[in-house]
Amino acid sequence: MELFYFYLAGTVAILATAMVITRLNAVHALLYLIVSLLAVACLFFQLGAPFAAALEVIVYAGAIMVLMVFVIMMLNQGDAAVQQESAWLNPKLWAGPGILCGILLLQLALVVLLGGGGSSEGFAPKAVPTKEVGIALFGPYLIAVELASMVLLAGLVGAFHLARPATRKHTDSATGKERNNG
Amino acid sequence: MVDVVVPELWPLIAYFLAVLGLVVLMLTLSHFLGQRRRDRATDEPYESGIVSVGSARLRFSIGFYLVAILFVIFDLEAIYLFAWAISFREAGMLGFIEASIFIGVLLVGLIYLWRLGALDWGGKQKSLEQRESVNANNGK
Amino acid sequence: MEAVTEPSVLATLLNIGGILLAAVIFAALLTWGERRLLGFWQDRPGPNRVGPFGLLQVVADMIKLFFKEDFVPKFADIPVFILAPTIVMIAMLMGFAVLPIAPGIGVIDLNIGLLFFLAMSSMAVYSVILGGYASNNKYALLGGLRAAAQTVSYEVFMGISLMGVVMMAGTFNLREIVLAQEGGWYIVPQFFGFLVFLVAGIAESHRLPFDLPEAEHELTAGFHTEYSGMKFGMFFVGEYLSVILISGLITTLFLGGWLGPWLPPLAWFLIKTFVLVVFFVLLRAAIPRPRYDQLMDFGWKVMLPVSLINLLATAAILIS
Repeated sequence: MELFYFYLAGTVAILATAMVITRLNAVHALLYLIVSLLAVACLFFQLGAPFAAALEVIVYAGAIMVLMVFVIMMLNQGDAAVQQESAWLNPKLWAGPGILCGILLLQLALVVLLGGGGSSEGFAPKAVPTKEVGIALFGPYLIAVELASMVLLAGLVGAFHLARPATRKHTDSATGKERNNG
Repeated sequence: MVDVVVPELWPLIAYFLAVLGLVVLMLTLSHFLGQRRRDRATDEPYESGIVSVGSARLRFSIGFYLVAILFVIFDLEAIYLFAWAISFREAGMLGFIEASIFIGVLLVGLIYLWRLGALDWGGKQKSLEQRESVNANNGK
Repeated sequence: MEAVTEPSVLATLLNIGGILLAAVIFAALLTWGERRLLGFWQDRPGPNRVGPFGLLQVVADMIKLFFKEDFVPKFADIPVFILAPTIVMIAMLMGFAVLPIAPGIGVIDLNIGLLFFLAMSSMAVYSVILGGYASNNKYALLGGLRAAAQTVSYEVFMGISLMGVVMMAGTFNLREIVLAQEGGWYIVPQFFGFLVFLVAGIAESHRLPFDLPEAEHELTAGFHTEYSGMKFGMFFVGEYLSVILISGLITTLFLGGWLGPWLPPLAWFLIKTFVLVVFFVLLRAAIPRPRYDQLMDFGWKVMLPVSLINLLATAAILIS
């Protein structure tokens, strides 16, 4: 039964991802991407990593995808974006990268199929309780967490300065009287 | 192959299917029961009786983007704190100090943004006096 | 909890059906209860014509919604338009799956129950944002954006405010959190966490005073301007479901869940949840709507620091 769930979630993930690539409308593509992420979360849960599954939903599906939807809506280009997408679906553009990725996929498949017999023990899922993740993060990987906090801080500051609504310069120039109601 | 820990999932899946069934039932029932009408203005967006001008595919304020990105970053921070909260007893004093530094760094970031006015919705709001003084400076 | 024998398949199926039905029926009843309570506080009767105490108003409303036109505007992004209201229903109903109502009652006992709830509530954001986007209407777009910005702002500290409880109980499992409160409810040591979560919960369910996304005086109806019939009903029921879910969760996390003397556990859970739901309605009757920038300010400048400091203080007290 577990195997059935596994393949079900895996199939959903692959199909949804295929839809992501082929959709012309960016919002539809994002919706499929969210489905794909949810399916991957199910896989994580199946394989005994509940914390990773929760993170996948909360962070990827729940936060980063919201940001993506915002950005797409913000750049709202409607039909222009769809046309651009269909232009990008021109085989000339994707054939090269596609072939290269195909080679990688083939290699991966070969490794899994041929090497699978010998090293399947290494792949056997080992359940990781949430608590262990926390103990690892706030014990041996302490430096990594602090570095992560620095990265987040940098992200915070950088994001603000990139996205800052035109502020001081604008006001000081002679024309900027009413900029602060935007 | 998976033996321990992974709990019985089928109740959740059955529940999900039941929820899905309910939602689909509601949609189809209302689809078939509902009336249909076509009027002159049926296919126009409702804007309180005013004829719509232009499409609703507008570009909007960057403030929304800023909120979204701050949300992503703080959500990531929250995730680390989740991991800390669950293993709080095991992590002990060392973990506490580490988490304090972690929270401290992000609080500093928050204060920085606060001071710069990133948290003021729609840019920094000025009082009338400040605005007048700016105008006076511009005038001379 | 491992010692508990596996519940039979039949019992689990009964649980699933019962909880789903109860959630939907209570949400439907709440549409009537809220109007009655508001009427009571505003010195007017409220809906009292259909059936005893107007109770059948719920049924009447439902029939009306089902027979309304299932309107999908031509100018909308049709698949997304249909999908949007279902998301909030599904996400909120899924949230009920991890709610431990009483010993032996509950769909599933997940070790990451609390995270599951947070994940589901983060999914519910899509409902408003996609509803606003798909309607292709300016009011809807503005309402959806506002709703999304508000929801994400308040979601940040929603999770953090609960971590104090997690620290004290040492688990994400909601059933174990309830059992850990046998010595005393967490509302006392985690009072700030409770307050912050309450505010975040109200904002998440877009209830007054945080109902700016649908502020009818400026945005007509916000993100559901173009919705009618059952799809509108789904947004509506979704809102009530989230009120009940948040109340149930507050009961579980801060008020000792089903624990209490004399009465059976189920009764205790229902009573506590009911009191909180009534409190939600009272808020609507009592508090005016803030301005949007005040709302955002309050979230980022007050609630977020408070929840972080609450977490640190809890940790400092527990560790010493």
